[in-house]
Amino acid sequence: MRLISAAILTAVTLGSAAFAEEVTVTTARGESAVPLSPEKVVVYDIAAVDTLSALGVELAGVPDNLYLSDLDAGDAEAVGTLFEPDLEALAGLAPDLIIVGSRSASQLDAVSQVAPAIDMTIGTDLVADAEARIAAYGQIFDKADAAGKLTAELDEKLAALGDAAEGEGSALIVMTNGTKMAAYGAGSRFGWLHDATGMEPAISGLDSDEGHGNVLTHEAIAEADPDWIFVLDRGAAIGEEGQSAAETLRSPLIEGTTAWKEDQVVYLPAGELYIGGGGFGSLTKVIDALTEVLSGSAGA
Amino acid sequence: MTHPFGVTLAALVPLTLASLMTGAASVDIFSALDDPWAMLVLMESRLPRTLAVLLTGAALSVAGMLLQALVRNRFVGPDTIGTAESAALGLLAVTLIAPATPIWGKILISSLCAMAGTALFVALIRRLPPREIMLVPISGIILSGVIGSVVVYIAWQADLMQYISTWLMLGEFSGVIAGRYEMLWFAAAAAALAWFAADRFAILSLGEEVATGLGLGTRGIMRFGLAVVAVVSAMVVTTVGMIPFIGLVVPNIVSRIMGDNLRQSLPMVAAAGAALLLSCDLVGRLIRYPFEIPVGTVMGFVGAGIFLYLLYRRPARV
Repeated sequence: MRLISAAILTAVTLGSAAFAEEVTVTTARGESAVPLSPEKVVVYDIAAVDTLSALGVELAGVPDNLYLSDLDAGDAEAVGTLFEPDLEALAGLAPDLIIVGSRSASQLDAVSQVAPAIDMTIGTDLVADAEARIAAYGQIFDKADAAGKLTAELDEKLAALGDAAEGEGSALIVMTNGTKMAAYGAGSRFGWLHDATGMEPAISGLDSDEGHGNVLTHEAIAEADPDWIFVLDRGAAIGEEGQSAAETLRSPLIEGTTAWKEDQVVYLPAGELYIGGGGFGSLTKVIDALTEVLSGSAGA
Repeated sequence: MTHPFGVTLAALVPLTLASLMTGAASVDIFSALDDPWAMLVLMESRLPRTLAVLLTGAALSVAGMLLQALVRNRFVGPDTIGTAESAALGLLAVTLIAPATPIWGKILISSLCAMAGTALFVALIRRLPPREIMLVPISGIILSGVIGSVVVYIAWQADLMQYISTWLMLGEFSGVIAGRYEMLWFAAAAAALAWFAADRFAILSLGEEVATGLGLGTRGIMRFGLAVVAVVSAMVVTTVGMIPFIGLVVPNIVSRIMGDNLRQSLPMVAAAGAALLLSCDLVGRLIRYPFEIPVGTVMGFVGAGIFLYLLYRRPARV
């Protein structure tokens, strides 16, 4: 009896394996084979949730906090947090594919016990990585046309941003956290803003390896005298109360910079930039916001 | 031999000048009277920062000295017995429950929590066998670990991890400009008040029985000492974040040189603490100029080195 059931089980397993088609896509950790058109997908990455919803993919499970108010995961169930997947709930869902990335990338091994999982982290080469992920999702979910449209839209918006930023001078990317400020240069996690706008960093030699930026004083900003200051309010990004970025920046020293005097201090969509970095919706929102202010100014 | 206090004060002058001259903006502060830009940098950035470092170093060291007298043990500081963690717990609680509380209200609650935490530590170590001197610092480390983990647990649940890390893990002065450090004057004032009661603290450090025998009301002076330690810690934690070791090593060095006459040694403790912290902050500002390394990190290295040295050289008195 046992032998027979074992035989049936083997047959069923082999059978289903034979029917399931696979597709090879590029992930953050190289090439990876994943099931084609998986039905139940669980995603532990805000950028991935963002891009997949732009592609019209229904998700079965997402983290309990999506941070971005624009993001709606439909009927997807909450299966733990970005940092701590709830493996029991995950197993209960029996997903066909699990996607991790960025903050949840370290959980790849843990969730791989439940179902096939891929790491879709978007690195510091943000725009290129974001487009690579869009293409990969297009392959996996058999939506290559939709993916192509998203990429074309993105390229168009990037071109518009590049045009708007032409001749606008230097820029400094500042993240505020409470009373403290940190600067990000080219090659850092927000360095793509320099690439996309073509604007030179106002301070050269910023270390790109610092995850939380280079600690910055008010007089350092005054000395650099940037034409534009792009501000990321970290507190606002994760929904904190407290001192706002403008309050942190305001001082006679910074009020003397070109950026402040010309009203060229831009408060970027914080959550989209900080949490959703590289998701399609987040990316377009940040690019649109920048394009709008840059094209609104007279130009230097 | 020249007087150690004189030497320390003499060292403070060039350190202060160096601090005023160091910063990302390239200005000559000596021409500040003719150059409005240099004046702006000096008054808005350089001077406030230098003062903030001096006040913090002095106040934390004095708080450390008082604490060591109160618990009669040389191996504790405000950062190792749970005072800073208690202050952070209070701050976290008020941030979550009443985020709109003005800053002085937050500091008040933070100070009260710091005081409760310090008092808990004092109550805890009273039950310890008096001969086992190492049990006191170990209890302190355990207590600060327990309170710290409560803080981390709550912050984790509320997604405030990086918010609390600005207080607890990275004491630094990069955010200091005019208008954002003035609280520290109160910390320094609280520490200065202690000088008037210095003789009583010295008597208290002989032990409660001896002190009572000499006619000292130990409870009052104990409460006063706890209040000073708590206020100093709360102010420092809320304005610049906790800075390790300074309240531990400076009192040790000074009492080694000058003995335990607190009325004489407290000014020296304040001056030495200010000088040590200012040196560390200067190093932090220069290593990666024009960027910065938090003074807490530099102080961690330097302080650990000094502490090991003090441990390995047999203590003159414990």
